[in-house]
Amino acid sequence: MSGSSSGSYVVRFNLHQRVEHFITMVVFALLCLTGLPQKFYTHGWAQGLVHVFGGVDATRWIHRVCGLILAFSTVIHFGGAIAGMLSRKMGFTMVPSKKDFEDAIQQLRYYLGATDKHPQYDRYTYKEKFEYWGLVFGNVIMVITGFALFFPVQAASLLPGQIIPAAKVAHSNEGLMAFLVITVWHIFNAHLNPDVFPFDTSMFTGKVSRERYEHEHPLELARLEGRVPAEHGGAPAVHGKREVG
Amino acid sequence: MKRSPLVFLLLLAASPVGAAIPAEQEGCLDCHGGSLDDFTLASGEKLPLNVDKDVFAKSVHGETLGCTKCHPGKTNDHATGEIAFKTRREVTRAYYEQCKGCHFSNYEKTLDGVHFAVAAKGNDKAAVCVDCHGSHDISRPGQPRTRISKMCSGCHANEAAVYAKSVHGRASETSSDVPVCTDCHRAHDTVDPKGGALALRTPEICGRCHTDEKLMSRYGLSTKVVDTYLSDFHGMAATLSKGKQKGPGVRLAAVCTDCHGVHDIQRADDPSSPVLAANLQKTCAKCHAGATASFPKAWLSHYEPTPQKAPLVWAVQLFYKLLIPFMVGGLVLQIALHLWRVVVNR
Repeated sequence: MSGSSSGSYVVRFNLHQRVEHFITMVVFALLCLTGLPQKFYTHGWAQGLVHVFGGVDATRWIHRVCGLILAFSTVIHFGGAIAGMLSRKMGFTMVPSKKDFEDAIQQLRYYLGATDKHPQYDRYTYKEKFEYWGLVFGNVIMVITGFALFFPVQAASLLPGQIIPAAKVAHSNEGLMAFLVITVWHIFNAHLNPDVFPFDTSMFTGKVSRERYEHEHPLELARLEGRVPAEHGGAPAVHGKREVG
Repeated sequence: MKRSPLVFLLLLAASPVGAAIPAEQEGCLDCHGGSLDDFTLASGEKLPLNVDKDVFAKSVHGETLGCTKCHPGKTNDHATGEIAFKTRREVTRAYYEQCKGCHFSNYEKTLDGVHFAVAAKGNDKAAVCVDCHGSHDISRPGQPRTRISKMCSGCHANEAAVYAKSVHGRASETSSDVPVCTDCHRAHDTVDPKGGALALRTPEICGRCHTDEKLMSRYGLSTKVVDTYLSDFHGMAATLSKGKQKGPGVRLAAVCTDCHGVHDIQRADDPSSPVLAANLQKTCAKCHAGATASFPKAWLSHYEPTPQKAPLVWAVQLFYKLLIPFMVGGLVLQIALHLWRVVVNR
């Protein structure tokens, strides 16, 4: 459990997590900027972008170095997470559970107006877990296929040659999907969502106001404060304006 | 009555050759028609001073140009017995300048050509107009077409010999479907093949014929060769390398000629073709050091990924074709529902 409650705000992310997010963010952006022009190389904007990076060779080297950093940070992340969970310093808060599926169904029912009961979230919502595990699986695919494209001769000496064009198709499509998911889903949840608009700063400051936490992660907050959570916590601020009766 | 071209030609043939050609009217041929001895230049070379009237009359200029059009200083009263040029090459290079008076646009193109660039560096052997077109015997260029490659072979004998044995060269004797030198290298603005600019243009150059359905169907060849190349790794890298210069340590992405050969291109099923399956490993290893026997399969041989040709690539492609819209669509839908509920609550 990394959150801690103190007065008017909750520390949701510790320094290590914030630094990890920052590195991932910068590296991901650079990977998109150097990778997408290689996928869409016939377009003017792609050729312009490659030119900005100093030509196709420089673009590829930046892409490879960023890829290596991402691969390395993924390994460190998992090393830390496994060690943390084994030593019981860290909870299994990111592991998907039965409750996540129930939450997702309840959340959709709430959106559709089938219920006024908003799901009560613990430390991570099903949306956050979905994005986290999407990134993790995406990273694994990108790193493996990326290495196959980085070292095609070696890859083809271990596996059938067709693995190289297949890796290229997977790398290029998985990369595009990651880009789309981040631009659509992450940008909405962290910026455009009316609850946090225009900018959820928690991933950079680590802090979230206690009031917002009460709405967004009531189960975790109650645990942090050593009390039993209320049966029906309020919906997030914007959602909670509804008059009953 | 409309006169047919045949009648016109007969009339032309019947007319006494040279009877009215402008060159004769100036009186030059009185001396230069055959009575002068060769002039010995400072280099010891003999400069012929006579012009064969009949040859000139049959040339493209015979009916239109007088001698002084190209030799403006040589009026009837020109000094004799003295020629300032030291070599025959100097004579040629001095008079080639005259062509631009009428043929300026082609002359201008040569300024971008490799022959001009080589000449500018001091090599006086670099081809000028008359080296390819001739001087007093100029005929229409490219008639017959095989004459073009023979022309170039005057200086580029090695390349011409290799070309003559290639699939294009062998067919060029009897067919106008195949490229001759100038189809790839261009005639006036001939590109320096060493810099890489020509190499990077090969998908377009080769594609001019190899994407032509009508032409390729005569030989049973695929017209997808350029598209499949461009959609692969090499084609992408080559497209993004436009303007890159080849040099020490700078390698360009493989283009058509890197695998198929340049002047020595053979049919892909010819035993000597570098792209024949049996020879492919060696061809890949030119760039991909240590390429193993399975490595050439990394290249789909200009085939589109189908369940038959490349099932794995095809399956991965299909998987993402379905997954991406499903994933992104689902997320967008959830966002839309979320916002809808926000609006409803207000």
